[in-house]
Amino acid sequence: MRRRGLTADAILAGLARAGALSVILMLVVLVGVLIVAAWPSIHLFGAHFLVSSDWRPNELHVPLHDRLGHVVMEDGEVAMRIIPPSFGALPVIYGTAVSSLLALLFAVPLSLGTALFLVRLCPRTLKTPISFMVEFLAAIPSIAYGIWALFVLAPFLQLHLEPALRSGLSWIPGVNNWLFASPAIRNGVTVSTPLPLTGRDMFSGGLVLAIMIVPIITAISRDVLRSVPRAQVEGTLALGATWWQSSWEMLCFSRAALFGAIMLGLARAAGETMAITMVIGNNNQIQPSWFAPAQTMSSLLANEFAEASSTLHRAALTEVALILLVMSLLFNIVARWLVVGRGPSGAAAH
Amino acid sequence: MIVNNSRGPRSAESFYRRYVRAKNVLFKGACIAATVAILTLLALVAGYLISKGLSHIGLHFFTKLPIPPGMEGAPGGMKNALVGTVILVSLAGAVGIPVGMLAGIYLSEYSENSFLGTPVRFIADVLTGVPSIVVGILGYELFVVPMGHFNGYAGAGALAFILIPIVARTSEEMLRLVPHSYREASIALGASKARTILEVVVPAATGSLVTGVMLSIARIAGETAPLLFTALGSRLLTLNPAEPFPSLTVQIFAYASGPYRDEQELAWAGILILIALVFAANLVVRLAVRRMQTGEAAR
Repeated sequence: MRRRGLTADAILAGLARAGALSVILMLVVLVGVLIVAAWPSIHLFGAHFLVSSDWRPNELHVPLHDRLGHVVMEDGEVAMRIIPPSFGALPVIYGTAVSSLLALLFAVPLSLGTALFLVRLCPRTLKTPISFMVEFLAAIPSIAYGIWALFVLAPFLQLHLEPALRSGLSWIPGVNNWLFASPAIRNGVTVSTPLPLTGRDMFSGGLVLAIMIVPIITAISRDVLRSVPRAQVEGTLALGATWWQSSWEMLCFSRAALFGAIMLGLARAAGETMAITMVIGNNNQIQPSWFAPAQTMSSLLANEFAEASSTLHRAALTEVALILLVMSLLFNIVARWLVVGRGPSGAAAH
Repeated sequence: MIVNNSRGPRSAESFYRRYVRAKNVLFKGACIAATVAILTLLALVAGYLISKGLSHIGLHFFTKLPIPPGMEGAPGGMKNALVGTVILVSLAGAVGIPVGMLAGIYLSEYSENSFLGTPVRFIADVLTGVPSIVVGILGYELFVVPMGHFNGYAGAGALAFILIPIVARTSEEMLRLVPHSYREASIALGASKARTILEVVVPAATGSLVTGVMLSIARIAGETAPLLFTALGSRLLTLNPAEPFPSLTVQIFAYASGPYRDEQELAWAGILILIALVFAANLVVRLAVRRMQTGEAAR
């Protein structure tokens, strides 16, 4: 009887340890497999991959010219020079960075304001429904936000907001060239042509990301602000501070954890795929304008991976995924260290 | 912001006060405005999705298979995709729930004097933040490349990968909610540790464990990105996961990005199903948490 109990103990302990170890193994396998699969691209392009903006999956055939500029003929056919395929991740890194930062620009003030409202102003009866709504909206799948953005947000931007912004902002020097014109080279001269407004661009990508990360940043910063010691707030009030002054004190007191909350939002925005694929326009070029179509790392993967035919193309895409993974791991590690890892007050929030 | 640096000794004191008070009102108003703006926007989004879905859902959605555009009866329904998602999620759950649960048991019951606890907890947290499209590529390399074609097992594997860390962390938290005295009482009665866990701790937490699992199932049922290049999707009804496999989310994506109006309407109906799933899971969790809290208060 006693022995059977002991062996059952050993079995459960072993199984539980195996479950725990498999979590570690998963991370190792994830990173390892991606590195191996991306190796042809890492090996061929090296660090140049990060700064190049070429993205040509197919080889180019260009006619050979001699010194005088004439086409070279061989056996009655035009001689061709073959330029091998080339890959560079700069446009998608740029796209991810700008769209996520745009999202933060919209989402952070709104989220922090709402978190403050929930912690300090909200009537007790409203607290539960609002919290429920925030959590429910954080759980809605990204494809749902994507389809909304595609059929509602993008047409609205194209027909109403973007033309209004164009006519409202164009008079400011420089803005027209930056936001509403696309440079084109004609006969060796750079001319700027008016940018066609499509509603599927960096701006609408940033907006839909903002809508998606607002619930997350709000929920985490609400917990963070709630864990600010009471004495801290009461101290400021006792010194005669106004509501805003003591709130400001709360924000300053928990600035590290709030920064962590924002980074978690940033990580989510950078890794978000479906919604942004549907509205960012999927154009693999760097354009300074926010109203020009762009591409992010995740949308590039969603668009091209299933149809990639050559090994090198797939390896290059996998390397993009690897960059995305490393970035999100870094964001998550720093954010969790800031939110949870700092003393008992932060830990109490989770 | 207007900053007033020229504070005179007397008369400016009142000016400074007025400035502080104005700032107070301004920012208080800004917080309220932010909340109202966010709630309105999110309510608009959710309301639009729900009303659009309600106007396009019907019995045909559940009972008919997709019919190619141009043919009689098009677009049919999404029966194949519903069946596909149920099978994919069940397969992922069959792998992911036991493994995640065991890891959760380890974290809450065994990790106290172990060097493994902190890194496992940390890695599980970090894994929940991995972009799901990256997990899709892992599924492609691990399952699609060896089998030579897209298949349902790869999709289920990718979903299980997402499921395990979530289940591990939520079940750890749920098990930790069980009062320590339960464990002590059981050990004091002579029960072994395994018996204490399996017959005292886990049963005491069953309700919350189930709700936690429900939330994570709702989460993976709504995933699209990891299925794009693993299960790929299919317009046929198939029960064999070794083939390219349909799923609700991927089919919604294909329909929504496509040009056909009646297929887009099916996509709206599909979104409604996903939202209903998420809403139900969240509601059940809310109710369970409230029941636990009131139960504890009564105790």
